[in-house]
Amino acid sequence: MNATGIPLKEPAVSAIAGDTEQLERAYIDASTRVPVLMFYTSAMAWLVLGTLLAGFVSWKLHSPDLLSDISFLTWGRVRPAHMNVMVYGWASMAGMGTAIWLMARLCRTVLRFPLLLVAGACFWNVGVLLGVGGILFGDSTGYQWLEFPGYAAIILFVAYTLVVSWAVLMFRYRRGDQIYITQWYLLGAFLWFPWLYAAGQLMLFVVPVQGVLQSAVGWWYANNLLFLWFGAIGLGTAYYMIPKVIGRPVYSYHLATIGFWTYALFSSWTGMQRLVDGPFPAWMITASIAATILTMIPVATVGLNHHMTMQGYFPLMRYSPTLRFTVFGAMSYTVFSVIGVLISLRSVARYVNFTQASIAYSHLGLYAFFTMVIFGSMYYIVQRLVGREWRYGSLIKLHFWASAYGIGLMTLMLLAGGFLQGADMQNPTLAFSESVETALPYLRGRSLSGILLAASHFIFAYHFGLMLLGLGRTSTVPTFLNPVEAETSRGH
Amino acid sequence: MKGLTSLFLGIFGTLAFSWVGLTVIPNWQIGRLNPQSDEEGTDIYPQPQSGMVERGVHVYAANGCIYCHSQQVRADYAANDIERKWGDRRSAPRDYIFERPVFLGKMRMGQDIANIGVRAPKEQETPAQGAAVSSPPAPATSPASASPASQGGAPTAASPAAKQTSSPSPSTQAGSPVPAGSPSSAASPAAKGAAVASPPPAASPSPAVGAPWPVQTAGEPPMYSAAWHHVHLYSPRSINIDSNMPSYRFLYEKRRISAARSADALQLSGSDAPPEGWEIVPTFDAKCLVAYLIALNQSHPLNEVKSVGGAPAAPAPAAGSPAPSSPAPKK
Repeated sequence: MNATGIPLKEPAVSAIAGDTEQLERAYIDASTRVPVLMFYTSAMAWLVLGTLLAGFVSWKLHSPDLLSDISFLTWGRVRPAHMNVMVYGWASMAGMGTAIWLMARLCRTVLRFPLLLVAGACFWNVGVLLGVGGILFGDSTGYQWLEFPGYAAIILFVAYTLVVSWAVLMFRYRRGDQIYITQWYLLGAFLWFPWLYAAGQLMLFVVPVQGVLQSAVGWWYANNLLFLWFGAIGLGTAYYMIPKVIGRPVYSYHLATIGFWTYALFSSWTGMQRLVDGPFPAWMITASIAATILTMIPVATVGLNHHMTMQGYFPLMRYSPTLRFTVFGAMSYTVFSVIGVLISLRSVARYVNFTQASIAYSHLGLYAFFTMVIFGSMYYIVQRLVGREWRYGSLIKLHFWASAYGIGLMTLMLLAGGFLQGADMQNPTLAFSESVETALPYLRGRSLSGILLAASHFIFAYHFGLMLLGLGRTSTVPTFLNPVEAETSRGH
Repeated sequence: MKGLTSLFLGIFGTLAFSWVGLTVIPNWQIGRLNPQSDEEGTDIYPQPQSGMVERGVHVYAANGCIYCHSQQVRADYAANDIERKWGDRRSAPRDYIFERPVFLGKMRMGQDIANIGVRAPKEQETPAQGAAVSSPPAPATSPASASPASQGGAPTAASPAAKQTSSPSPSTQAGSPVPAGSPSSAASPAAKGAAVASPPPAASPSPAVGAPWPVQTAGEPPMYSAAWHHVHLYSPRSINIDSNMPSYRFLYEKRRISAARSADALQLSGSDAPPEGWEIVPTFDAKCLVAYLIALNQSHPLNEVKSVGGAPAAPAPAAGSPAPSSPAPKK
């Protein structure tokens, strides 16, 4: 916005200057309003569309004749459309919105060059729209996670270039020498993504690698997107939100450092475990399995750090929506990683390799971990952008429980169905079709979980829409999940 | 700002490490494989596909077949893919060198189809495909590369196979009901469809518990022929009641019979059949898709893998091409 000219004082360290700091924050928040809300609003629209597509995907999988005569609604097109809408439309845009806001706050400077971001958001939306349209009308490239046809991919890349150049510029204008741990993760995410995306595009479409290596590049890209893009933004956000809401510094900065570097090092080497027993040199797969096991180090350090920070403050989750969503997400990160290790072990992987269990894994990472953390950050940020508090505590509660039960049920169904499906597939005395039959009841259960998730998303979209229209509460007290004395947990 | 420099270097370095390790080095190792050929330079496998098959690849990609069907046969020590008769050897990197995109797949809500073309009835293949395809040049490549591989190729294939069995190979297949041994014995009717003198008996040999694919029913086109694929794509549950596959009717056209019934009209029965005076014919995309499916064939023996069973062979480079499991210098 036009707040770039406002002179800011050096950050105050003493408690007396607390008011100045509050004022600064308000200025910074105000300067991020337009770009961040643009990203959030687009993300919400994609979330609703992605949810509808998800419903199709889920129902059609156990009722294959549903609307199968319409070419652009055939299962094999709706599925990648759903996935790409969620990955590039919802998760990436919401993640970028949160990351932009965090960057401005942590650089302690008002948001400069907002036009870069506005243009970035526009281009990104056009890219996703073209890409999803392309998939539905039969232009999919056939590479999982990179189905967008070339004309959409190039627009996405242009959009991203605008956003990342903004991030680097902002970083140059930051004040203060301290670089908070969140900024590490965000800088990492911002710099890793273009490399990942460019490498994926180049090695698959421009100078394509031979044969099976395309699959290796594809899963290298997909897993790194999950870890180094979404995972990094999610962890960075959690590192900001948890200490912020409870008003207590991170337990150990040292642990955080170890966690970050081991995360960058090990999680980037995962991906090939998804190709277990495939036509590849065994060392590639073994390396990724080893890396997956080693990701337990960052999981342990990050988990311990969050836990120790939260120690004694867990009751606050009863009141703060942000804290509740963020802690749920942070805990899911541990679950996601542990299950990731479990299904990557060769002895297990040969059962679950070609089953629904890998879908459960992706949803754990993208939803239970990342999306929940982003929901939490949105409950923190949006109210500061529109200058109103969330209108209904009850809706936030409903949103949380529908999401939590929804993703929990989905994970259980897909994991259980996947293991049984895999066990049947590995049993040569059973016809192949029996393994599919085995999975079907669980897929119906997954559809039920989809109803819960859809409800939660529609509730959130409605609530978000109220906020956008300025229909939030005018109050100095944030909206809590449960009634509370005013001073208990006051987010800054 | 020393901390900052190391932060940027670290961010750069970690991903560079992974990128080099997981994509660049494998590309040096198996990124420039050549097709395999025998001493005379004939019997080249695999061969690039062209024409309708190439377009069929795009139809396959566009309609997301990969989300339910894998195209890779795992080794016998890892899975029972071979026992399920999805192939008579594990897939190797060399099988895919001309494939773009490569459809290894990550899900089996449907069968693995790496070798679905092998199951096409042999003498049915040419006429059926010719009828369905109506332009001879394109499909000519697929039967040409397919038939010597599975039938005529058997004698030549025996030599590498013999090499393999003499090497200390785990005899896990010894007790299994699958005829272990040379490719010549692998030409069992069920696996090869080679003995399809007449279609109905072809499928009857062992429709036992482990029948790897639906059993031939009377009145249907011969299993895995082009005509069968069309009926299956049009109405999967008319062929296999348990099938979970969506139908792809949008790839077919319903039209009025003008003079005589078209040669490539689908042989439908029951509720799928069009009303009197109408017929269902495949669109060009459907024909391309079926041409592609019939061309899916990894039955040609490879020097680097055992042909029945399938531990990766000891590095025994043949015809000057390195085995994929050894880091080979670039040629």
